[in-house]
Amino acid sequence: MARIGTILGEPGERLLLMGNEAIARGVLEADAAVASTYPGTPSSEILMVLSEVAPKVGLYAEYSTNEKVAFEVALAASWNGLRSVVTMKHVGLNVAADSFMSAAYQGTKGGMVVVTADDPSMWSSQNEQDNRMYAMFANVPVLDPMDPQEALEMTKYAFQLSEEVGSLVMLRPTTRVSHTRADVKIGDLPENKKNAVRLWGHFEKNPEKYVVLPARARKMHPKVLERIEKAREILENAPFNWEEGSGEIGIIVSGISYVYLKEAIHKLGIEDRVSILKIGTPFPLPLKKVENFLRKFEGGKVLVIEELEPVVENQVKVLVYDKGINVEIHGKDYIPRIYEMTTRRIIEALEKYLGMKHDVDFAAIDEHFKKVSEKLPPRPPTLCPACPHRNTFYAIKKNAKGKGIYTGDIGCYSLGALKPLETMDTIVAMGASIGLGTGMAHAQKDKRVYAIIGDSTFFHTGLSALANAVYNKAPMTIVVLDNRITAMTGHQPDPSTGLTATMEPTKFLDIAEIAKAMGADYVAVADSYDIPELLKVLEEADKHTVSVVVSRQPCSLLRTRIQRKKGESWPIYQVDPEKCTGCKVCINAHGCPAISFDKEKNVAVIDEVMCWGCSGCAQVCPFDAIYEKLPDGGRKYDVLDEENKRRWQQWNSML
Amino acid sequence: MEFNVVISGVGGQGILTAEHLLAQTALRKGYKVRAGEIHGLAQRFGSVVAFVRFGETVYGGSVPDGMGDIILGFEPVETMRYINFVKDGGVAVVNTKKIPPVQVSMGLYEYPSWEEIKSWLDERNIKLIGIPAEDLALKAGSALAVNTVMVGAAIKLGLLPFEPEDIKDTIKEIFPAKLHDLNFKAFDLGYKAEPEIV
Repeated sequence: MARIGTILGEPGERLLLMGNEAIARGVLEADAAVASTYPGTPSSEILMVLSEVAPKVGLYAEYSTNEKVAFEVALAASWNGLRSVVTMKHVGLNVAADSFMSAAYQGTKGGMVVVTADDPSMWSSQNEQDNRMYAMFANVPVLDPMDPQEALEMTKYAFQLSEEVGSLVMLRPTTRVSHTRADVKIGDLPENKKNAVRLWGHFEKNPEKYVVLPARARKMHPKVLERIEKAREILENAPFNWEEGSGEIGIIVSGISYVYLKEAIHKLGIEDRVSILKIGTPFPLPLKKVENFLRKFEGGKVLVIEELEPVVENQVKVLVYDKGINVEIHGKDYIPRIYEMTTRRIIEALEKYLGMKHDVDFAAIDEHFKKVSEKLPPRPPTLCPACPHRNTFYAIKKNAKGKGIYTGDIGCYSLGALKPLETMDTIVAMGASIGLGTGMAHAQKDKRVYAIIGDSTFFHTGLSALANAVYNKAPMTIVVLDNRITAMTGHQPDPSTGLTATMEPTKFLDIAEIAKAMGADYVAVADSYDIPELLKVLEEADKHTVSVVVSRQPCSLLRTRIQRKKGESWPIYQVDPEKCTGCKVCINAHGCPAISFDKEKNVAVIDEVMCWGCSGCAQVCPFDAIYEKLPDGGRKYDVLDEENKRRWQQWNSML
Repeated sequence: MEFNVVISGVGGQGILTAEHLLAQTALRKGYKVRAGEIHGLAQRFGSVVAFVRFGETVYGGSVPDGMGDIILGFEPVETMRYINFVKDGGVAVVNTKKIPPVQVSMGLYEYPSWEEIKSWLDERNIKLIGIPAEDLALKAGSALAVNTVMVGAAIKLGLLPFEPEDIKDTIKEIFPAKLHDLNFKAFDLGYKAEPEIV
C-alpha cells in the first residue's frame, strides 16, 4: 500500500491525508498521551501512523490483544487525567462493549475518544451495524464526520467535549471517510508533541467513581442522563451542525451523506431550491436547531438523509410529535437503509421525492453493465502466492479425508472458505472457531473437528476458548495459522511477532508453549512450507483429545517485501510441460494465483513474476512436474531437501 | 471543471500508488482533491477499484455511475468490472496483460476475448487504448512499475491537466530516491507507448 509518509507537517499546510490519517493528526493536535487499538478495517491506519510517529512526539501507542483490552488501556489513561484515544472497527466495539457500557456510567477524567469506524456495504466486515446506535444505547455523544478535514476537527473537538461533559465521546467515521484521501489543512501541534514530551498522569483514588458496585451504579445512572443533556446543550453550538440555503425543499442530512447530497443537488441543478440542515452530531441531536429548521416547513415536508439506520430520522419524528410540529417527515421511505450511501442513490431518491429527472441514464448503464457482468469471471480476493495458509488448509483437508468439520475464524485465512480450498464450514466472529469447535465436538460425533485460527486472533479471544476446550475435554484439533503478524489489516505486530507497536523488541509469546501450559493433550509445531511434516503432525493430532498444531511461517507478502528491500531474491518454480499431464491438482486442490492453465497445451503455467517461492505446488503435484529453477539454469525436483528446509527456517526467523 | 478518474485492477498491482501519484499531483497543482479506495481483505489478489477526483469543487471520494472521464484498467477483465463508472464516450486505458482468475484456471469460467471486450466498450462508445504495460514495466526494470507506465499512458491522452514534468515531480516527492529513475523510465515508456489494441 502506498504510504503517504508523514502527518507531521507545518501548521496551515495542506496535506493529502486519508481520513484515518487526519484523525491521527487530530489526536496529536489535541495532545493525547495514549493511543491503543486492536486493528480492524477500516480503522487500522489511525494507529499505524500514530505508532510510526509515537517516539517523535512522546505518544504512548500500543497494539492491544483485543478491543476490550485496548479500551481499558485508554480508559485508565483517562482516569489518570490524560487524554487518550482507542480505535477499532465497528464490530470491535462488540468486544469492548462490556467495559464501554460500564465506563459510560463511570465517566472520564482526561478526555477520552472512542473511534469506531463503521463499514457500510461490509467491504471488510461480517455486518454493517450502525454504531451511532451504540452511542444512543450507552448514552455517549457521537460525532459523525463528513470528510477527512471534518474528521480532524471533530477529533480535537471530541476531546474537549469529553472533558466538558465528563463522558466518553465516540467518533464514528465510515469506510468512505476513513479511506478517502483529501486535501486537509492541518493545525498546530502542542509544545509537548513538538518536543516529544511523554506525558504522565496521576491516579487519584475515587472508589465512588472507579469501583462500579451495584449501589454505586444506581447513583451513576441519573448522572449519565444529566451528562447527555449537558452535551446536547453544548452541541447546539457545535461547528458541525449548520443550516444553509433558503429554498423550499427542506433536507436534514447527517455525516458523509452531506457530500453526496451536495453533489446530487449540483447534478440535478437544484442548488437554489434547497434548504439543508447538516448534522454532524447525530446523538444527542441539537433539538433546538432541528426544531427551528422544521418550523420553516410547517404544513409541508422534510426529508432526512442518512446512511444505514434511521438514527436522526427517528429522533426528528419524536421531536415532531413532542413539540406538535405540523410537518411530514420522510427518510427511509426514500433512502435505502442498507449498504453505503452514494451520490447516485441520493439523485434517485430526490428524483422520486421531487418528481424530476437527471440527465445520466442510469437504467441504460445498468442494463449494459448487467449484460457485461454476467460474462466476467469473478475475482474474489485470494490467498497470496506462497501464502503459508494455503499449504495448511491443503494438509488439513487431505488429512481429514472428507471426515472433518472446519470451524473457521477471521483473518486473511477466512479466504480458505472459498474455492478451491473450501476448508471452513463456519465463521462467526473473532475467536469463535474454538468455541464453535468445542460445541461441535459435544453436539455430534461422526466427524473430527478442526478449529482454524490465526495467531493474532488466538491472542484476541482464542486463549480463553482454548482453556474452555481443555477444561471441557472437547475432542478436536486446533490449528493455529501462525504467520507471526496481523496480516489482513496491514501487518501490525502481535504477541507472536516479538515486536511492539513502536517496533521495540519484546517477548515472543510462543503459542505452542502456551498450549502446553494450558494442558492441551498434544502440541506440535510444523513448518507451513513442509506439507509432509504438516500431514504427519495432523495425523498424530487426531489421536488425542485436545490437540494444538501450530503451523508457522511468516506472511509471504511481508516476507517478500522485506526481502525486496534487502535486495534478496527467492526461488522461482516452473512447470515442466513434458511431465505435466494437465491433471490440475495444483489448481483445483491448492490454487495459487501464480498458476494458470494453458488449455491449448493442456499444461499448468506458473507466472514467474507472481511466484514467491514456497514450493507448495511442487509438493502437491502427483507427477513431480514442478521444479525449482536454479540460478545456473538447472532444475531441482527434490524440493523437500535440506537446503530448502534450511531456507524456510531462515524465513521463519526473519521477523 | 472537474476530473474523474477510475483505476481498477488486481490487488497487488500498485493501484493505490497510481491513485496516490495522480492525487498528489492534483494537490500540488492547487486543485481540491478526493481519492477513494477500499483496504483490507479486498486487496489480496482480488478485484480492486480506486477513484481520483479533483477540480475547483469536489464532493465524495467515489465517482458516481456514468460520470468517470477515464478508466485506467490494470487488467482487461477488471476494466470491464467497473465500466459502469465510466461515462458514455469516455476512455479506457487498458493494460493488455491478462491475469486469469483462479476460477478460469479451474475451468469454471471463460476469460472473455478481446473481440467481446471491444464490442462491450463500443456499445457505450468508450474508446479503448490497450498498452502492454507489464512488458514496458519490465523494460523499465520492474513489474511493479506497471502503475507508473499506466499513468504515463493516461497523461499522453491529454485528458488530464498535467504535464509529464508534473508527474515526475510527484515521483520525486513520494517515491524513495532509489526508485526515481526506474519510475521516470516507466513513465516515459508509458507516455510514448504505441497502443497495441485499439
